[in-house]
Amino acid sequence: MLDELKANVRKTAVFTIGILVLVFCYLSYIQVVKSQALATNSLNKRAIQVAARIERGKIFDRNGQVLAFSERDSDGKYERHYPYGAMLAHVIGYSSTKYGITGIESSCNGDLAGMKNWGRYLGPIGNLWQPKTGNNVTLTIDATLEEIAYRALGNRRGAIVALNPKTGAVLAMVSKPGFNPENLERDWEQISSSPESKLLNRGVQGLYPPGSTLKVMIAESALAEKITDMKQTFTCEGAWKIGNDYELTEEHRHAHGKINLEEALAVSCNITFGKLTVDLGSKRLADSFSRYGFNRPVNMELEEVPVELPDFKHLSDGELAQTGIGQGGLLVTPLRMAMLAAAFANNGSIMKPYVVSKVTAPDGTIIEEFSGQEFLTPTSPALAKLVRQMMVAVVAEGTGSAAGIRGIKVAGKTGTAENPHGEPHAWFIGFAPADDAQIVVAVIIENAGAGGEEAAPVAGQIFAGALR
Amino acid sequence: MDNMLKTYDELKLLVLAGLILLAGLGTVSLAAGSLDSMVFAIALALAVSYIVVHYILRWVGRSGDKLILPVAAVLTSIGLVVVFRLKPELFLMQALWVAFGLVAFILAAVAGRRVELWADYKYIWGAIGIILLLSAEIFGVEIGGNKNWLIIGPIHLQPAEFAKLFIVMFFAAYLSERRELLAHDTKKIGPLVVPHKRVMAPLLAIWGIAMIILVLEHDLGAALLFFGTALLMIYLASGRYSYLIWGGGLFLLGSVAVYVLYHHVRARIDSWLNPWADPSGASFQIVQSLFALGSGGVMGSGLGYGFPNLIPEVHTDFIFSAIGEELGLLGSGAVLLLYMILVYRVFKVALAAKTAFNILLAGGLAILLALQTVVIVGGVTKFMPLTGVALPLISYGGSSMVATFILLGLVFAVSEAGGSDA
Repeated sequence: MLDELKANVRKTAVFTIGILVLVFCYLSYIQVVKSQALATNSLNKRAIQVAARIERGKIFDRNGQVLAFSERDSDGKYERHYPYGAMLAHVIGYSSTKYGITGIESSCNGDLAGMKNWGRYLGPIGNLWQPKTGNNVTLTIDATLEEIAYRALGNRRGAIVALNPKTGAVLAMVSKPGFNPENLERDWEQISSSPESKLLNRGVQGLYPPGSTLKVMIAESALAEKITDMKQTFTCEGAWKIGNDYELTEEHRHAHGKINLEEALAVSCNITFGKLTVDLGSKRLADSFSRYGFNRPVNMELEEVPVELPDFKHLSDGELAQTGIGQGGLLVTPLRMAMLAAAFANNGSIMKPYVVSKVTAPDGTIIEEFSGQEFLTPTSPALAKLVRQMMVAVVAEGTGSAAGIRGIKVAGKTGTAENPHGEPHAWFIGFAPADDAQIVVAVIIENAGAGGEEAAPVAGQIFAGALR
Repeated sequence: MDNMLKTYDELKLLVLAGLILLAGLGTVSLAAGSLDSMVFAIALALAVSYIVVHYILRWVGRSGDKLILPVAAVLTSIGLVVVFRLKPELFLMQALWVAFGLVAFILAAVAGRRVELWADYKYIWGAIGIILLLSAEIFGVEIGGNKNWLIIGPIHLQPAEFAKLFIVMFFAAYLSERRELLAHDTKKIGPLVVPHKRVMAPLLAIWGIAMIILVLEHDLGAALLFFGTALLMIYLASGRYSYLIWGGGLFLLGSVAVYVLYHHVRARIDSWLNPWADPSGASFQIVQSLFALGSGGVMGSGLGYGFPNLIPEVHTDFIFSAIGEELGLLGSGAVLLLYMILVYRVFKVALAAKTAFNILLAGGLAILLALQTVVIVGGVTKFMPLTGVALPLISYGGSSMVATFILLGLVFAVSEAGGSDA
């Protein structure tokens, strides 16, 4: 009789332990298959708690000025502070538990948040190497120059990008209107919903027609392709009819008369550069854009948006001429125009722009260091020198004279870009000292009018500040 | 009964359990950055008392099961470490409960040496069980949303924890007496066997009690625990699947009725079926529990490096999720395996027992232990609807701790009786 009972016990044991095995399988499913999704669910507060447990690293400028740091508040939680407020908001970005992270805070998050230690691959044992403080990040930005640029732009909408043409180091990057990351969470509604796109970093994400600043590239290409030389004389009659449906004109149909290439650049003659571009043809024009890297991403950490190039296969002569004077379907970022100028400043080579120069451990040990890297060599030193000389003439006796500073030879090119949003955008690109450039800038002021009157003086202030 | 394991093995395993306790507390202390010598003194005392219990047991009788105490000690040690990690201020009390539990284990083991004689007092056990259940219902005080606490002076008791043991004892006695009737006095309708009304009546009575628990306490898990244990014990005694089918059908029917009629039960089931519909409200607890388990992954965050305190009531009902988060699947899986080993050993004791009552008692206790583990671990992993039940030997709390040790003490007594004249 007991044997029968024991048979029942066996079956019951198999049944109940079987249920436990099922629970075990389900537990494994949750902790293995579902693990990642549950751990990263936006309602799971653990990521924020982990971040709040260690002190986020500091961000410094090239001279050791503190640009961002974390401090414990009265509740013992770390809070992020930005001593320069709106001035560097777009470059540094923000780190908010509510609204996420952007800029350097985002691209260097692994270092700043202390997550880049090898111990983390060891599972729980890695806790032994868990740092209490994140790594510090040093930028190429010069806070003093940033402030000069920020003030020079005033209350106008626009952007300034300043690079060291010899290394590609970004010295200053201003975008207006901006926001103060110190009050981000308080003012979020107003910042994020503003029709002026305050969160947009115009230096790398603003797309504008380059206007006449593009003419330096056309001049170089025309010389490189031997379509013209420095001696050829062009005749400008103030207007030029291309085909049946398009007429290219100077401002007020003002005729420049008989001029050579250098004079044409100095006075920014549309007819001359329109003709040169038509002579180049769409194939060679497309090649020029790719030689200067307009269609090639340059550095992920800059968060730039791609340039919009026209469809070169289907350009009429009129459209071709328009593209040559920086209008038409062409849209570029200020960074790209600074890089274009940098090619002539740096003997034909464009260095890869970068913002992070160094990552250091809390104790000062250098973990990573970045230096200049060549991006492209679009032209020869000889041609670069020719274009440079012409750009010097633009500032010395042409449209860019407002960018000149006493005692230093400045090279540049102005632009006044027609756009559908009202007054033309004022542009200036250039560098100084012309023969040994320490700084190259691109300035754009939205809907401000003539580049020579509005943008060139801003560039002048920056040159003076940088070379003081 | 067991030639494989020597008495010496029990001692070795108990030393290991003590080391787990000390190492665990050391890890938590190092992670927190502060060592409390008091905590280690207590832990050392407990580690020593495991060994003392071993010697007392082997002095009382030599042949009892040699794995039950070590497995219980390991689970208890893990529980103490996790309670210390989650609520350090409760560690002292929990240690005290473990000490009481160990004493209760010895007392039950000694008192139960002639456990087969207890069958004669079945109605006393049944009455005590019902009184304990009712006492909470009548005099109970609500603590933390559960009205199942009895307060006598400074002592807070959860009488239901003890009631389960008496009810299993009653069933074991009752069923061992009537199992002939259960197994053979039947009619057939189609493929299903219909038991005689004398048998059907108690089945319906148990079902009624389960439904009352469900309605009054909104407690699907407790009802399932009670009814499931009773039903499986009836199967144990009769060997007839039809009781499981009848019982399961009745329970399902009742549950559906209660689901339709009572909105609080409905809310609980709904938050199980789709916790993501209201993750910050009705399903907050289960969602937090899943986050903890998911964040733990396979390796876990390491003791002291997770955030299990984001889960409400983590030291009692959700302690398993905390283990899953900080020790990973390696830890939570190991704990679940330990329960399987424990349940397996208790069933093994039932298999070796010499009387019908002893077989049914040990079998019933194994079922109780297994179902309680399933209800709480299944609940916090969303395997089944969530109910607040203690995780045996690990959750913070005295009643469950002492009751589980009494349960294991009784099993030990049965194993002693079963093995002595093998």
